[in-house]
Amino acid sequence: MKRNAPHLPTSPVAWTIAAFVLSASPHLLAMPPVLSGLVLVAAGWRLLAAQRRWRLPPGWIRILLSLSAIVLLAISYGGLWGRRAATGLLCLMLGAKMLELFRVRDLRMVASVSLFLVTTQFLFNERLLYIGYLMAGVLASVCALLAIQRFEQGNQRAPGSERRILREGAMMLLAALPVAAVLFLTFPRLAQPLWGLPDEVMDARTGLSDTMSPGSIAELYADDSPAFRAEFEGGPPPPGDRYWRGPVLWNFDGDTWERAFLPSRTPTDLVPPGSNDYIYNVQLEPHERRWLFALDYPVTLPENARISLDYQLTARKPITALTQYRMRSNPDPIDMPQLPETLRQLATRLPADRNPRTREMAESLRSRFGDDRELIAHVLDWFRQEPFYYSLETSPLGRHNADEFLFDVRTGFCEYYASAFAVIMRFADIPTRVVTGYQGGYWQSGGEYLLVRNSDAHAWVEVWLEGSGWTRVDPTAAVSPQRIQRGASSIAEGRESLFDMAWLRDLRNRYDRLQYLWNAWILGFDAERQQRMMRFLGLPDISRTGMALIMAASLGVIVLVVAWAWLRDPRGSRDPVRRAWLRLLRRVGRRGLAKRPSETPLAWARRVAPALAGGDRLVEITGLYNDIRYGDRREESLRRRFTQAAGAFRPEPLGSRRF
Amino acid sequence: MAAIPGARASERARRPRLFERWLQRRTRLDLPLTLAYRQIFILPTRFGWLLAILMGAMLIGSLNFNNNLGLLTTFIVAATSINTMLLSFRTLRGLVIRRGGAVPVHAGQAIDYRLAVDNPVERPRSGLVLRAGDARNVFSVAPRGSREVRLRLTPRARGWHKPGRLRIETTHPLGLFCAWSWFEPRAPVLVWPAPAADPPSLPEQGEAQLGGRRSPREEGEEFHSLRRWREGDPLHRIAWKASQRHQTLLSREFRRERSRHVTLDLSLAPGRDLEERIRILTAWVLRADADGREWTLKAGERALGPARGEAHRHACLRALAET
Repeated sequence: MKRNAPHLPTSPVAWTIAAFVLSASPHLLAMPPVLSGLVLVAAGWRLLAAQRRWRLPPGWIRILLSLSAIVLLAISYGGLWGRRAATGLLCLMLGAKMLELFRVRDLRMVASVSLFLVTTQFLFNERLLYIGYLMAGVLASVCALLAIQRFEQGNQRAPGSERRILREGAMMLLAALPVAAVLFLTFPRLAQPLWGLPDEVMDARTGLSDTMSPGSIAELYADDSPAFRAEFEGGPPPPGDRYWRGPVLWNFDGDTWERAFLPSRTPTDLVPPGSNDYIYNVQLEPHERRWLFALDYPVTLPENARISLDYQLTARKPITALTQYRMRSNPDPIDMPQLPETLRQLATRLPADRNPRTREMAESLRSRFGDDRELIAHVLDWFRQEPFYYSLETSPLGRHNADEFLFDVRTGFCEYYASAFAVIMRFADIPTRVVTGYQGGYWQSGGEYLLVRNSDAHAWVEVWLEGSGWTRVDPTAAVSPQRIQRGASSIAEGRESLFDMAWLRDLRNRYDRLQYLWNAWILGFDAERQQRMMRFLGLPDISRTGMALIMAASLGVIVLVVAWAWLRDPRGSRDPVRRAWLRLLRRVGRRGLAKRPSETPLAWARRVAPALAGGDRLVEITGLYNDIRYGDRREESLRRRFTQAAGAFRPEPLGSRRF
Repeated sequence: MAAIPGARASERARRPRLFERWLQRRTRLDLPLTLAYRQIFILPTRFGWLLAILMGAMLIGSLNFNNNLGLLTTFIVAATSINTMLLSFRTLRGLVIRRGGAVPVHAGQAIDYRLAVDNPVERPRSGLVLRAGDARNVFSVAPRGSREVRLRLTPRARGWHKPGRLRIETTHPLGLFCAWSWFEPRAPVLVWPAPAADPPSLPEQGEAQLGGRRSPREEGEEFHSLRRWREGDPLHRIAWKASQRHQTLLSREFRRERSRHVTLDLSLAPGRDLEERIRILTAWVLRADADGREWTLKAGERALGPARGEAHRHACLRALAET
């Protein structure tokens, strides 16, 4: 290793930096622009330094720069915990490494850590598009390693070498795919994670949160990414039934709705199966929280999940990777025919000093309607008749937020309606809770699955009624029925008018179908699917050790095949002239007249000619070969004449004639 | 016959004897040698281990997060590494090392060891490294090509030397694995003794002249060279035509014919010990040859000459090296 070579040539440095920048690009985009700018400047500086042969900067500058960058990172992420902060730190370290990238060892380090960066990106996003990122990142790193090796072997100045490096790298990547595929299919998966993930590590805030204050879902509306997909056996449920239950919120402090910590249900305490059950597979995108979404009311429990008293499904671990589970829901049962007194208290509690106008209205309604159902119907009618508007453009509400919304602003979206409606109900002493989750979804008719996007997030209310238990009431439906019937995108007026074209939507839905298959077959390939594949191949249930053995065996087989392909002697040159010449040499050589390495072709032909019948012909053919190979005669006719003549020549020793 | 110290004698001594014997059995050491499965060893390089550790981290992280794309990346990298292992092996496999040898040099000078290497297949081989100790040479061989690889070895003592165990290795194509083969060419290399730095002048008339008294230069009849005219040169010595050409006065210099025979006897040479006497004798041989004289070398019972010229010099130096 050339340890003290101060000036590395441009090629390996440029490839290494390309590998690093490419692998780091998604991380850099997620970082504060100041920091990613710093990293990019460092990389650009190194590239210029390679061309202009600058020396490495003094140590104190490097240390100062790196330290200040790390401090900046810690400030902007509020510490060095969390995956974003950790990968950001890794990017910064590699950026700092750019300033002292002056040895072959450093280049190799950066190129291989780039591979690591590619892997860490998938902790944040595993969408179909990222397969391109994966391939590009690995390709660039392999090319960088090739360029570094080429430099070490001292032949970096070959003409057109960059393109050759790229081609060689692509070849290596292609050749790696069979072995990688076998490993992917047979590597034993963990049914349980090795170690738990502390919740602080989860810092990418996507999806529903476990609290709700009016306005918090608004960000989700702008997020068109899929939240989950559900594949139904039989048709999809009608739009009015597509309420996917998420966190159920009981406690309201005047600003924010929060969960109550209710006991879990035991598996025996679940709803019995019915006749109108929905049976479906959910393919949940990672959202870093524990919610699992299901239709009301789950009959079965997914693995590693529990269900609370209010039918809220939670996984034991945060959902950090695509998760698939099979569900069966019975929409018919009555949730809690009897309401325990503690829960009634919990479901009617309100801060007394808030929303006096709402309180007044609720109390007057209470005195007018003895029946809860009539009261609710009246309030919904009131929503319908008064000028309430559904809009995502909202203004922040103050201390008496229900008052302001119901009597002054009257413009908002589901959270505002759900929260204000729940406040009216509680003032009217009707047990009420707020449910957040998703509502609706797009039915992919080609793929037979329901696509639920993050923008389908919704909030509604459940009231407890004598005789029907907890009953869903959706005040938003009263104001904006099409929100419920046709989905969130139908009421987002003007928001996407520039891009909201039919063909574009169609394209997006088609893409999602691919994404769905990708999720089902690549991302969702887990221990269970692996077992299913083995069963499909005719192998019974296999333990982890058995799986490891199968992996070793199939890996052995595929490596043997690959090794055979690599190590097999090339069948000959691609040049037909050369091939014909080598065949001729072999044929004559079999007669014991092999060409010695020291002989020129013509010298050999002249030496062996006397021993062969038609030896003159051999000399002639060899002369032709000399002309083509060493002369400047490149005509196609001459080449063809040579290959034909060489192919037709049969060396017969003098004296043995065939009759 | 000694091994060249460059071949890391100390390292070999450290290696357990059992391993050494296994190695002996496993390696065919003499030339010509075609590198095959049994002769090729392969291990990850330091960078290879580093990448392995990195891949382990990637694997465990991806498994724990149940992250299939992360796993896929890890597996692609692992598969690439497996491929490079095969490619490193392929770079060596089938390579033919035909013969090695070197032109003799004096002790202390570098041996320019040459190894003839053939590539019998239609595939280029690049990134090959020939090494012995710290000496290394990077080379590549064209498809169906042959080439001569040179290696600088530095012997310290005179005599016949085995080049020792040489190593041909490659980390092609990514530097993850190092494949190598050992071989020990049997053909030894001759190292002449080093000439003494400041030898006494030649022992004229067959007698060693001690004390280094220089014999005065006498003029002879043989034309020797042209030199710049000096005051006192007789007129008939001036080379007029040449002077005109060079625009300055040149005179012809004549010297006595230098073929006077000299006998160089090891036992009569000055010097404290045998080695010093051999060095002085070596210097004398070189001097006598440079002066174009005829000489006889007596070393022990052997007597070479009288003769002159390159062949005689080589014979004498070889005799001195072997003494």
